Amino acid sequence: MNVEVRGLGKRFRRVVALHEVSLQLSAGSRTALIGPNGSGKSTLVRALLGLLEVDGELCFDGMPRHGGGRELASRIAYVPQIAPRLAAPVRDVVRAAAGLRGRSWGAVAALAAQLRLDLDALAARPFRALSGGQRQKVLAALALASGAELLLFDEPTASMDPASRNEFFRLVEGLPTGSTVLLCSHRLDEIRRLVDRVVVLDEGRIAWQGAAETYLAEHAEAVIEVRADGAPAAGWLTANGFTAGLAGWWSRALPVGQRARVVADIGQQLNGQVQDLMARDVERLQPVTKERRS
Amino acid sequence: MNARAEVLVVARLDLAEVLRSRWLIFCLVVHGVLAATFVLVGLRESGVIGFTGMGRALMSWSHALLFLLPLLALTATGQVVNSARDDGSLELLLSNPVSRTAWFVGTSLVRTGALVVPLFVAMPLLGLVGSLAFGQDVPWGFLARGMVVSAALLVCFVAIGLAVSTLVRNQAKALMLAVLIWALGVALIDFGLVGVMLQWDLPPSAVFALAVLNPVQSARLALLSAAQPELSTFGPVGFFLANRIGPSWLLVIGVVWPLLLGAAAWVFALRSFRRRDLL
Repeated sequence: MNVEVRGLGKRFRRVVALHEVSLQLSAGSRTALIGPNGSGKSTLVRALLGLLEVDGELCFDGMPRHGGGRELASRIAYVPQIAPRLAAPVRDVVRAAAGLRGRSWGAVAALAAQLRLDLDALAARPFRALSGGQRQKVLAALALASGAELLLFDEPTASMDPASRNEFFRLVEGLPTGSTVLLCSHRLDEIRRLVDRVVVLDEGRIAWQGAAETYLAEHAEAVIEVRADGAPAAGWLTANGFTAGLAGWWSRALPVGQRARVVADIGQQLNGQVQDLMARDVERLQPVTKERRS
Repeated sequence: MNARAEVLVVARLDLAEVLRSRWLIFCLVVHGVLAATFVLVGLRESGVIGFTGMGRALMSWSHALLFLLPLLALTATGQVVNSARDDGSLELLLSNPVSRTAWFVGTSLVRTGALVVPLFVAMPLLGLVGSLAFGQDVPWGFLARGMVVSAALLVCFVAIGLAVSTLVRNQAKALMLAVLIWALGVALIDFGLVGVMLQWDLPPSAVFALAVLNPVQSARLALLSAAQPELSTFGPVGFFLANRIGPSWLLVIGVVWPLLLGAAAWVFALRSFRRRDLL
């Protein structure tokens, strides 16, 4: 589904939540919407869902949001960041949401199973009695089973365990190529795996937009942590920019592109002296390049 | 999926929600305790002094319900929309292909039913208990009148509660407003109205109009119109109205006016719900 947002504005009394936001999500694109808390991400998503009255234009495949009605709503699916704490049993919640889209319990249960959730076993339990991660899996399964052409995910894996998160990534990667995905996220692993484009919102305005690769290069940094014994190892690590920490651990932050080479060097140079090694990516508030310039 | 099917889906989910909520249990307990109290106390008293105890018990119970039902309805519905908005359930459900109207209609039906059905079960049950356990003659006509008047009053205040929950986003403020509306409805009858008339030098016609416009008062008069009008039971304003317009019109006004007022409040709430931001 092709989505066009032109001059979108939203004000909550004195607070400007969105100001002249314009962007295009072409059919089949995968876009991450990121920004600090209160930057307008959720407002934009809710405007796309038609839950808010906004200024400006919202078009879906050339059709205005207000003219779409039920038919348009059936082409859009949504996973909120925080699942509501409904007292109704899981069975009733799933049947209601799936039923509105003409989907069966079985179709949702099959996707939930892929997210490592046994929906049949939980059917009689109140929805609010599920853990945050379980509720998020139910909602993710409902959205993925919906067959929608536009999927709006608001931090969909925030409460999921790593294995389920990985399964969720796999399922999103397996969506039909025409499916358009808009993902609100702060997680670099989600951005790296799921999207090809990033839009940064700040105080209701678009602060940056471009390729995900560029964003990651500017904002992501690798951190390598090594636990090693002996003076030769300490000397080599110090010479290569590592800082000593507690219990024999050394760490160094470096551009993501250098991570693989440095890990390989550690293997070669400290052979037999390394007891443990971790490499992970972290996001910086300021772009790495900007920070280095200053 | 057509509009009726959407309403059914919403209603089924809301019913599942309501069946597990505390206020429904509270509502059932209130009905049960009141019914038991009036049966036991009313019938025992009648056994001693020889009055028709069942009628008296039902009359007292219905009269008490007229004051209690609006409060139950307002507190049960005064936070329906704003709490659904706050906890994200509205966001979740309306992100599916379901119209705002279907959500509002489905929810209204369930909330009204959840208050009316226990009443329609408890009142005949009370009559049966009185008849079978205590051998009393049950005034079924009065019982039916009480049920119809109470149901009309419930419909009216459910609609007002829904309007409050739609218009007032803050749940605590909505609850306060609901209680204030109830207090006004209960206070502006008989002696309260006479006090208003004396304080602000209102003409009697304005006071009588206020009396009939107040759904609690109009329902009360409709219920009492089953009995012989007496100043001690009707109060000064009610006594005047009962003699002026007669018991049949009192019954009509007591049923039709709350329904009309409820319908107006409901339509206003629906229009507001459809136009406003949902979050």
